[in-house]
Amino acid sequence: MGMVQATSTKRWMRGASAPLRGALLGLLLERPGHGGELANRLIARLGETWRIDPNDVYRLLEQLEAEGLASSCEEHRRGNERRTRLVYHPTEQTPSALTCWMETLMPREPVRLGLQAKLAVAREQDLRRLSVALREHERECLALAQLVCPSDGQARSWAALCMDCTRDAVYGMLQAEIDWTTRTRQRIDEYAARTS
Amino acid sequence: MRPAPPSLLAEPPPLLSFQNVSKRYPDGGREIVALDEVSFELHAGAAVGVYGARRSGKSTLLRLAAAIESPDAGVVRFAGRDVTRISSRERARLLRSSVAFLTSAGWLASPGETVLDHVAMSLGSEGLTMREAKRRALLALDAVGVAALGAEEITASLSLRERALVMLARALVREPRLLIVDEPAPMPSLGDRERFCAILRTVTGERGIALLIASEDMATLRGVGALMSISAGELCCSEERGTVVRLRPKRAAASGPS
Repeated sequence: MGMVQATSTKRWMRGASAPLRGALLGLLLERPGHGGELANRLIARLGETWRIDPNDVYRLLEQLEAEGLASSCEEHRRGNERRTRLVYHPTEQTPSALTCWMETLMPREPVRLGLQAKLAVAREQDLRRLSVALREHERECLALAQLVCPSDGQARSWAALCMDCTRDAVYGMLQAEIDWTTRTRQRIDEYAARTS
Repeated sequence: MRPAPPSLLAEPPPLLSFQNVSKRYPDGGREIVALDEVSFELHAGAAVGVYGARRSGKSTLLRLAAAIESPDAGVVRFAGRDVTRISSRERARLLRSSVAFLTSAGWLASPGETVLDHVAMSLGSEGLTMREAKRRALLALDAVGVAALGAEEITASLSLRERALVMLARALVREPRLLIVDEPAPMPSLGDRERFCAILRTVTGERGIALLIASEDMATLRGVGALMSISAGELCCSEERGTVVRLRPKRAAASGPS
């Protein structure tokens, strides 16, 4: 069980941009690329709803380079010998960092986004890790749902009504979360059964 | 987790326990796994909610809990007794005396019957006088807040909300130890549904009746002591909480290839 609760998490794995940094590692391992190209691949992979700003991707790549998980070198643009651009490559640490991220479920990050990002760049060898992480997330959602106060169906005051609607929103979110998690886990498990 | 304090008293067995319970149904040439090695425990007076989509296995889980069906593998125990190994007659007695099963599909009122008669009739085989049965029925109707429907109202004239409450009264009148509820409230109004669920929680809580409730709408399960979700016959449980309900995961998390 310890595999999804890493005791110490690296700096690059924390914060709201952690899913994007992790996904970038996965993309770099697939093949090197310059910032703009990696941004395009990231957007294509995760979808428009993530609202990824290409400028942010340059910043994230610099952060990864500072952590030793990416290395950049200047290369000449095709057809233009005088202008160069930075092309990012994975380093020796990149594969193990990706694996570590795959099996780390942070309590405070936007977990579902993190899982989505992991799915977007997951290798087949990550299948088990994903399944375990999804299971853990489902359990967490159930535990959270348990904490939501029940409603007696007759919120008498305006304040009580508003509070109840807020709780309803939380409950709806958790339900959607659990639905997606079970569906995804089922599909991964079916794939595993088919290919093993 | 803290270790349990030493106790001289032996802990009572859970009211209901599933141990590696599996159930399969044929589906054409294939087989559907409705339950896949499901294990959990429900203690007396506890409330457990099961969340699952259609065809996730939750109704199968409930039918097995009520001993209406038998598992293909594994053991279902009620108050320590293995209900998969008792005669159908004994099982029927158990079901009548200790377990009440409430499902929105189970409305069996005959036309022209009054509400009071309908609830009292469910005590038919208990050897009570009709007068006593009606007295208890009235108490049960009062407990769910529809005593006013009482003797005069004809069952056919009830709204969905009233119907659900009368069914609840019918389940309560036999004073079960376990109430099993499958999709309790197909009511159009959200307020009605939540009010019904609140009444359900109150009447079971006050009487110390254990509650096992399943729904495909999580809001219906608000306020239970423990939550489980079921998909493709596999159970996932919220964390352990005290001794209210102890849940064993199906198997330890498999470690991935490194």
